[in-house]
Parts: sequence; C-alpha cells; structure tokens
Amino acid sequence: MTYYEKKPEKKFFEKQLEDYRDMVWGCARCNWCQNQWGWNVKSAEFSEICPAFHEYRIFPYSGMGKMHIARALIEGDFDYDDAPEMIDFIYTCTTCGACEMNCQRLQDKEPLKVNETLRAKFVQDGFGPKPEHKRLIASVKNYSNPWMQPRTQRDRWARTIKLKDLNKEKAETLFFVGCTAAFNNTLWKMAQSTAAILLAAGVDVGMFGKEELCCGSPIARIGDRETFFTIAQQNVKRINESGVREIITFCPGCYRSLQHDYPEVPGLEPLRPAVYHSTEYVARLLREQRLIPQKPIPLKVTWHDPCHLGRHCGIYDAPRDILAALPGIELVEMERIKDQAWCCGGGGGARAAYPNFARATAVKRIAEAYKTGALAIVTQCPFCEQNLMDGIAQSEHSMQLYDLSELVIKAIGE
Amino acid sequence: MTENKTQKVQQKKLPREVYTALQGVVGEQWIYEQRSVVETYSKLSIDASTFVRKHKKDPHILPACVVLPASTEEIQAIVRICNRYHIPFIPFTNGQVFSAPTNTMPTVVIHLSRMNKIIRIDTENLSATLQPYVDYGQLQAEAMKRGLWNGGSPLATSLCKIASQYSFAGLWQTDLKYGLLNRNIVSVTMVLPDGEILVTGSRCIPKAGDFLEYGPGPDLMGLLRSAAGTSGIVTEITVKLHTWVGDQCFPEIPAGRPSLVDVHEPKYDNPPEPLKNHRLYWIEFKDFASEIKAMRGIAHSGIGIGLNATGVYSAFYCSQTQDMTIERCKKKFFPDWNCYVILANITSEKQIAYEEKVLRHIIEEIGGTFLSEHHKPKVLEALKPWNYDCIRHTTGFRMNRKMYANAWLPVGPLENAFVTMEQWKKALDIFGECDITDRGGADDTPFVYALQRGHFCFFETDNYPDPVVPEEIEKAQAYGIYGNATFIRHNLGPMLMAFLNVEPLTTMFPEVGPNAYLLMRKLRRVFDPQSVCSPGRQVFTEEEWQQVPAEVKESINKIRALQNLPAIV
Repeated sequence: MTYYEKKPEKKFFEKQLEDYRDMVWGCARCNWCQNQWGWNVKSAEFSEICPAFHEYRIFPYSGMGKMHIARALIEGDFDYDDAPEMIDFIYTCTTCGACEMNCQRLQDKEPLKVNETLRAKFVQDGFGPKPEHKRLIASVKNYSNPWMQPRTQRDRWARTIKLKDLNKEKAETLFFVGCTAAFNNTLWKMAQSTAAILLAAGVDVGMFGKEELCCGSPIARIGDRETFFTIAQQNVKRINESGVREIITFCPGCYRSLQHDYPEVPGLEPLRPAVYHSTEYVARLLREQRLIPQKPIPLKVTWHDPCHLGRHCGIYDAPRDILAALPGIELVEMERIKDQAWCCGGGGGARAAYPNFARATAVKRIAEAYKTGALAIVTQCPFCEQNLMDGIAQSEHSMQLYDLSELVIKAIGE
Repeated sequence: MTENKTQKVQQKKLPREVYTALQGVVGEQWIYEQRSVVETYSKLSIDASTFVRKHKKDPHILPACVVLPASTEEIQAIVRICNRYHIPFIPFTNGQVFSAPTNTMPTVVIHLSRMNKIIRIDTENLSATLQPYVDYGQLQAEAMKRGLWNGGSPLATSLCKIASQYSFAGLWQTDLKYGLLNRNIVSVTMVLPDGEILVTGSRCIPKAGDFLEYGPGPDLMGLLRSAAGTSGIVTEITVKLHTWVGDQCFPEIPAGRPSLVDVHEPKYDNPPEPLKNHRLYWIEFKDFASEIKAMRGIAHSGIGIGLNATGVYSAFYCSQTQDMTIERCKKKFFPDWNCYVILANITSEKQIAYEEKVLRHIIEEIGGTFLSEHHKPKVLEALKPWNYDCIRHTTGFRMNRKMYANAWLPVGPLENAFVTMEQWKKALDIFGECDITDRGGADDTPFVYALQRGHFCFFETDNYPDPVVPEEIEKAQAYGIYGNATFIRHNLGPMLMAFLNVEPLTTMFPEVGPNAYLLMRKLRRVFDPQSVCSPGRQVFTEEEWQQVPAEVKESINKIRALQNLPAIV
C-alpha cells in the first residue's frame, strides 16, 4: 500500500457513531472548522467558513462542537432527554463540508461525517429529524420527490425538448434531471439548457421522464439511511437495466449520490454506467470541439462553487474551463473559492428547516460576489440557485444569477 | 469504551437570579446553559488534565453557562454580576489552552466570539486596534493589503486569537526580526477581575493617542503579560505593525482534497514555492553542539528570522498520512541535527545577496551542510510544506497526531538545551513513551529556536498520547510535572519562566518563588478579591488549595521525590 492509498475500512453508511470514538476524542480545537485555511485568507470580512458558526457564534454549531457532542453521546455523558436542543445544532449544518476539508488537512479527522452519523443515529433512535425533514422523507416515499409534487408533473420542463424516452427506447446516455429543477419552474431553464447542449453536441441522450426517481441525496443528508438504501437500490436496478453507458446530471446532489454515496451503501450492486457532472461533460465537449461557442456574451461574472460539486467531489476546474471558453465572458473570482468557498446556505436540509438562516447565508455570498465587481453570479446547482435567488431578493446588492448552461447555450447560439 | 459509560455527567447550574441578571446584560439570544452547549466548552485540546477529567467523568469541568458579550461594557457588567454573587468566570476564545473551568463552583464561560472586529489599522503610526476574537489570519490579510505585517504567525492563524496569544507569550521564530509578540503591544483595554476597566499605554492620557506602551505611572501592561487570562479580560488591543514588502495577498495554492472521500493523492499535496521576498534554507549539522552554536551565530547576526530544528515535528508537518509520519519517525527520515533559516521580508536583491553571504560564512565556519540537490535532495523536497508555514502558519500537510497532550516548553539560555535534552531522555526512561514521543534530542532533534536576537531560546519536547487511553494521557501529564521538578532540581531558573504561565504550578512548586509565588498571590488578592477570575489557574488561594484532591497532591509529591524535592503540604 502506498501512502496515498485509502485505508480499507467500513463503508460510510455502515459506520455507527461509536466508530468515530478515536476521532472525536482527538479534536484539537484548532478552529479551522470555522475559519478559512490560513494561507487563503484575503480579508477579515470573508475569513470565516462555517455558515452556522458565523451566524450563531457558539461552538455546538461548528464542526468542533459536533465532535464534542458526539464524544459525550458515545461516552454516555448525556442523552436526548438531557439535551433536546442539540437537534437544532446538528440540523442547522448545511453539510457544506468546509469543516471536514480543513480538519482533514490538519488533523485527518472528519467532522462532517461525524455530523451525518449523528443525524443517522438521531433518526434511528427516533430523536430526529426535524418535522420539516419528515415531510421531505414522506414525500420521497409517496411521490418519489421531496417536493410533494405529483409524478406526472416531473417532465413538464421537457415539453419543448425532444429527448429519447428510456422507458421505451435505448440511448447511450441518461440525462438524470433530479427533482428540484424538474419541479420548480423557475429552474426549468437549467434542465432545458443542459438538454439542448447535449443535443447540440450530438449526444445520444435519453431520460426516464415521469418515471425518474429521486436520487435520495436529501434523504441521505438528513440521516434516514434505511429509506436512502431503498431508493439507491431502486435507482441502481433501473439504471443498470436501461443499458445506458453514461449518466449526466447537472445537480451536484444527484451527482454526489450516484457517484460517491451509492458505492458507500453496504451490499448495493454497483452502478454500471459512468457518472458525470454536466460541467465535466460540457468541458470535454468544448475541448473536443463538439461545441463551438461563437456568440460573444459581454459579461463580467463570478463563479460560485457548489459545495457538493467542489468540496465534496473535487470538481473545481471544469466550470472555470467552460467560462474561459465562452467569448466575452470575464471571470473574476471571489475571495472564498474552490475548497474554501462559502456555502450558499441551502444544503443539508438547512433551507427546509431553517429558512432564515439559509437566506442570511446566501445574502453574505451575494455581498462577496458583488465585491468582485461582477454583474452576475454563475453556478450550476439547483439548490444553490434557489437559495441564491432568495439571497439576491433580500440583498442590498443587485446581481444577476445565471446557470452555467444558460451561458453555454447562449454562446453556442442554440 | 469507558467502564462507567452509563454514568451521566450532570452539570451544575447557576442560581436563577444570577442567570436572569446575566441574561439582562447580553439578551436572551446570547446566553446558553443547555447541556450540549456547555459540553462543547468543557474539553480543551492540549490540556492533558481535562482529558483525564473527562475520562473520569468529572462534572466540575462543565461550565454552568456560556455568555457572549458584544462590548467592553457588557463584559464589565457580567464580571460585576459574578463578583456580586461570588461566581467564577473564565474568559474563552477557541479553547485550546487555559479555558477549562478549574473550580468546583458553577462557572460562567465568557466566550468572546462576537467581539471579532478589526477596529482600525493606523498606517501612519503602524498599529492595529482589534477586538479580542480577531485572529492572525484576519489581521495579517488586512495588514498585507496596506503594505504592513504583524510580525509573523505563531502557532496557527485561526487558532491564535491575537489578544490571547499576545497576552500569553507570543513566542515564535519571527521574534528574531520583530521582537516577542507580547512586546508588540501598544495598549490594551481590559476589564479587571473586580469589574474595573483598565486602559494601558499612552492612550490612557486624553487625546494622546496610541503610540507607546507606557502611560503615566508603573507599567500596567505587565499585569496582562503571561497572566493567561487571570488578571482580567482584554476587550480591545492595539498591536504594532511592521513594514511588508511582499504582495498584497498570497498566491492561490492548489485546492485541497475533496472532503467526501478521504483521497490521498499527490496532486493535493503540492505546497507552493517560497514567496519571492523570502528565502528558506535547510542546514544539517554533525551534532547538537554545532547546531546550537550556529543558531546563536545566526541570531546574533540579525539576518534570519527563524531558526528551528525539527525531527519528529517535521515528520508531522510534512507527511501526507499518519502511517507516513510514524514511518518517517522510526526511520529517522529527517536528519537528527537539522535547522532552517528564513531570510524574510527582503527588500532587494542586494539584501538577499548580503544576508545569504553572511549565512554561508557562519555555516562554513561551524561546519554545517546546506540541504540541496546534491545533499539529501529527497529530504529537502519533503520539507517543502515549511515554505509557506514559516510565513503564515497553516501547519503543513497534516499534523497527523492523535493528541497533543503535554510538553516541556522551557525558555532559557541556549546552553540549557543540553541539560533539557539529557533530562528529557531521563524522563523517557522513567515514564516510558506515549503513542508518539518527541525524543527531544535524545536520539532525534529537539524543537529549539533562538529568540530575542539569541539572548535565549525556546525548547519544545512533546508527547502525543492516544486520547482514548487515559493511562497514556496520565503518563504524558506526569512528564509535564516532572519537567518542573527537573528544572527546579537543576537550577535552570530561567527555564521556569514558561511554567509560571501554566496551571497552578506556583503552588505545587513554591521553589519558583518566593517572589513570583507571593507576588502572584498578592496581586490576586488585590485585583481579584472574590477569587472569581479563572480561579486556580496560576496560583491557588489557601482555600482553593484545600479543595485540591489528595490524590493529586500525592502524585505531585511522588514526582517531586524523584528529584529529591520535599513533599508539599
């Protein structure tokens, strides 16, 4: 085994809180779960990195605090009756993973995984999740989406687009749309533009349409492992049976689930097709000149790294490569970018249960984006886009918000 | 699992009238007494005793509540309430050291996290005025934009809140160029233990402004230095800045590993080259004596800002995984006698040429060898994380240690390095090793650097026990106490300086006095008549000493006996 190889250990979704005992005892209180990595700090204003600690200023909201709570629960120092308030500390977290990024770098510890395992324990013991999350779970069970929307509405976004129906015919590529953009008509443009890009590049692409199922990402983040395992099983079976060779999704939550979470489910058959986030895929199409952006878009933009895409999955360069390939686009970076990016506030169930906190976090991101001098903030994540829209509505700064695919489609003139 | 897993730890709560009074000061939103909140303020990271107490389920380590004031006036009001009701209070920043409740009484933690603003940076007079929760990274970033520099970064940027660090000691290698950081304070505003507000330095004279650390009368700043939060709470601090000739911010470094999967890949471990206005050299020596001689020579010459010698420490800093760290320690991958020199903040090519010439001359005279592509190039390559860590401390790749439990951190004349080395070796024989033990020069390199132009040096030898094994932590704790006994026995007076900062050792080792011992008790009586400010941290009152468990006193006596010191009563 080389130094860089991953040590064999239990799969993430097999782990119980007790498996983290060594780790939580060893928390060094270095505070890097709350602050930008030392080298990256560019100003005092934008030097913090944990949205929840930034807002509430007490440790239980930080990665460090979760480690201490987990340690006390493992050792039996207190239980749910003694500390009913902890449910809010555990679920306010946006699961942005900034704490884990920095803690791994310094101490080789995983506060986000500890927090997600705490959530799983809460659900298992009937202490969690929050009522708002229970509604999401029930909706996924009943409607195959977390937004209480009828299945029949899932493909309304695609009325004007001709994609193959994988329920009836074969295709090389599955376009996995995800629930949020499919049901929220203000986000339809994401799905429509991405589909149009794939068609313009001649990709043999199809979708499940009304039959598509939730990927299970929100359920996994909330901590309902049992439901998540069932969803994962259903998805893997259906996708493998469809015979597609690759999956493309623009939703970083879906991408993370399909690419990284499913392999962590114990006993789950592997997903056979390769999984790509649309930014990776489109960057490749541009490199291979299967897409030729010709129409200039004179616009100064800044890129918001979605946490699930960047920090969680390591995709930082592809979206920037795409922006660099679009004529007229000038990219100016915010202070907190890539692995040190500030979360939009919308992830991990925080937007559902703590909307004011989620919005306040987005407002801070908009302020940071505005400071770059950019006129528009660009990203590619339905959760980020929803939450940043809320942020813009409440911000004192006026900014446009684009999905990356919208700019690509404009530039290729489709 | 601990044997007494089923035993809960019950927190003591404040009398309701006290809680209500505190709530009246900060508002409902900024006071917490919930069980899970106080838990997160109860275990410190590098204080072995709190780990042991946690394992033993000691309830006294839990604070009764946490309050978050937003101003000097709010802190004053909180402190006055604590005095009125005889409730101990502990100022708290990040909680790495010196913040655990030390008293059997219900204790109030005053968390300063809302006081995190840079109040002003005075570019004319080279100073910055800060609230106490501002950290190194924040100040450094803002200073750099203005062509200024706060004199380096001791420990880690986010970990060190400026007010805490400057008030404690502020020892770091950069001191060779800028002076000890606790000597870089222009003024402080602090709330004394009885609730009085003290302003020090020239600013206490109306309209005089912030320019000099001395005001009329005696140097009241001295109350704060090394007091470790026992002489009051700093609510505002003005620190000196220095000129900075580098860029306004640091270059982007490669993004870190994805956090989802524990990916260990070389592409995530590429430290940048040293900054253009800095040079970093690694030099190997044939023995410890020549290394110490060189360190002294370089410090006296005034060229370098950092002198260090690392073995185990470099393994922690520069390894990508824990396995790699341990293997490098065992195989002695890093040379035994190896130190680095940073020529920092250089203004011109001619200055570089001059300083490098001086350095090479000293090394040639003493007989060291520069690590280079011809001499141990792999080691040189492996040491690259120091390239940025010596400028803004981000702690290398990964520290990869389970727990940093206890250390000998003496300061003293450079010659004392030899005695420290011998005594540490002896301690290893007596107590045995922990999970990882810095061998402190016994057969590895000690962590030593010269301070104040080489007037004295700082030593560090550490234990890194397994935090889930209480016996290991207790062993590490014994090292610390044995260190004090050792220094007293061997008359290494100046070495005791550092220990006066730490824990109530002045009571357990009265030989450090009588001046320090008696004076600190007197100071406490005058400034903290109710004994409510971090009680028992530096010196006990008679009453508090009586409350110390007999087994603690016994174990201290046993360790004192190892150095032929009489038992304490």
